Amino acid sequence: QRFRFCGDLDCPDWVLAEISVLARISSVKLKLLCAQVLRELLGEPIDYEKILKLTSDAKLESGDVKATIAVLDFILSSAAKHSVDGESLCSELQQLGLPKEHATGLCRSYEEKQSSLQDSLRAGSLRLSRLAAVSWRVDYALSSSELQEVGEPLVHLLFRVQRREHGVPEAIPMAVSAEKFRVLLAELKQAQALMKTLL
Amino acid sequence: MLLVLSEEQRAHLGCLPRVGAAGVAELGRLAVELLRRGAAPRACEAAARKLDAGADSVQRGVEGLMYLLVESSKLMISETDFEDSLHVLEFSDELNKLLLQLYLDNRKEIRSILSELAPKLPSYHSLEWRLDVQLASRSLRQQIKPAVTIKLHLNQNEELTSQVLQTDPSTLLHLIQQLEQALGEMKTNHCRRIARNMK
Repeated sequence: QRFRFCGDLDCPDWVLAEISVLARISSVKLKLLCAQVLRELLGEPIDYEKILKLTSDAKLESGDVKATIAVLDFILSSAAKHSVDGESLCSELQQLGLPKEHATGLCRSYEEKQSSLQDSLRAGSLRLSRLAAVSWRVDYALSSSELQEVGEPLVHLLFRVQRREHGVPEAIPMAVSAEKFRVLLAELKQAQALMKTLL
Repeated sequence: MLLVLSEEQRAHLGCLPRVGAAGVAELGRLAVELLRRGAAPRACEAAARKLDAGADSVQRGVEGLMYLLVESSKLMISETDFEDSLHVLEFSDELNKLLLQLYLDNRKEIRSILSELAPKLPSYHSLEWRLDVQLASRSLRQQIKPAVTIKLHLNQNEELTSQVLQTDPSTLLHLIQQLEQALGEMKTNHCRRIARNMK
């Protein structure tokens, strides 16, 4: 059977197995657990102590606690990945054997954070490089060894490009004459107009 | 298969009869520790003081033992071959038995250490991808050109490297087809026969 939150594929066996473990936790504690996992997915550090406290009632072994976090992580991020709405997720989880109360609580937490989750996933998508900063300066050449009165403006551009996730951005300097700069600006404005039609 | 010991190695191992059974056991333990963790000059000095022998001869004795153990484990020589190889050293029966036991006890571990020394090719770590569509460029507007950008993360000697690849969807489909064919090879009779024989 195919599930939307698994990307229209079969549900992985390990997820199926862990859902039965989720049923052992009370639905109230499950909702709080979801909140913790969602915080971690949104970039905050995970509070393992809190999670241990929430799962202590169900008397889970340490391996089971980690598996619980893993399965919640999978369900929530996978549902966000495939843009599954709360109701569909709720019914699919119930089909997999999660009790109704647990599923409803989980999906309510999911719905609250769905758009933030998707924003965070969008920001983390593969990107080869990123423009970190642009700085410029306009100079006016008065004179040179070749010609006494030059009288020409020159634009100095400095692009800072972030190629890897961490580390210092790469600095790319260039000097552009007035003519070339006019062409550059015109082309970039055309590209910007095209981008506006897509937004 | 017999182990051939050079004159130098025979000289190194020559110190063993002088330190007695307990001493040989101690030097053997030291040799295995050195194989596990690497050089430890202070341990050799400590052993030399404990056994009341010169630090140099203890060092050479341990190195000789290390060579003996590594070569025997590498070639996986039988007990009789091991004993025959030791004949040239003219050790007492008791010492020979001790060395044989040392070899047999540590053979498996030494072999697993040796297996990690083989050069490794970069191995797959993870994959990130994105699907883009080029709509326009400076030279041509109104385009539809889909492209898949892939960032392949590889693990080489505990170092993560990455490769960026880009392809169009039809090449990607061809790539997928080739990889599925490769996987399918595992199910042919030829591969199955070899896999069965290796067990």
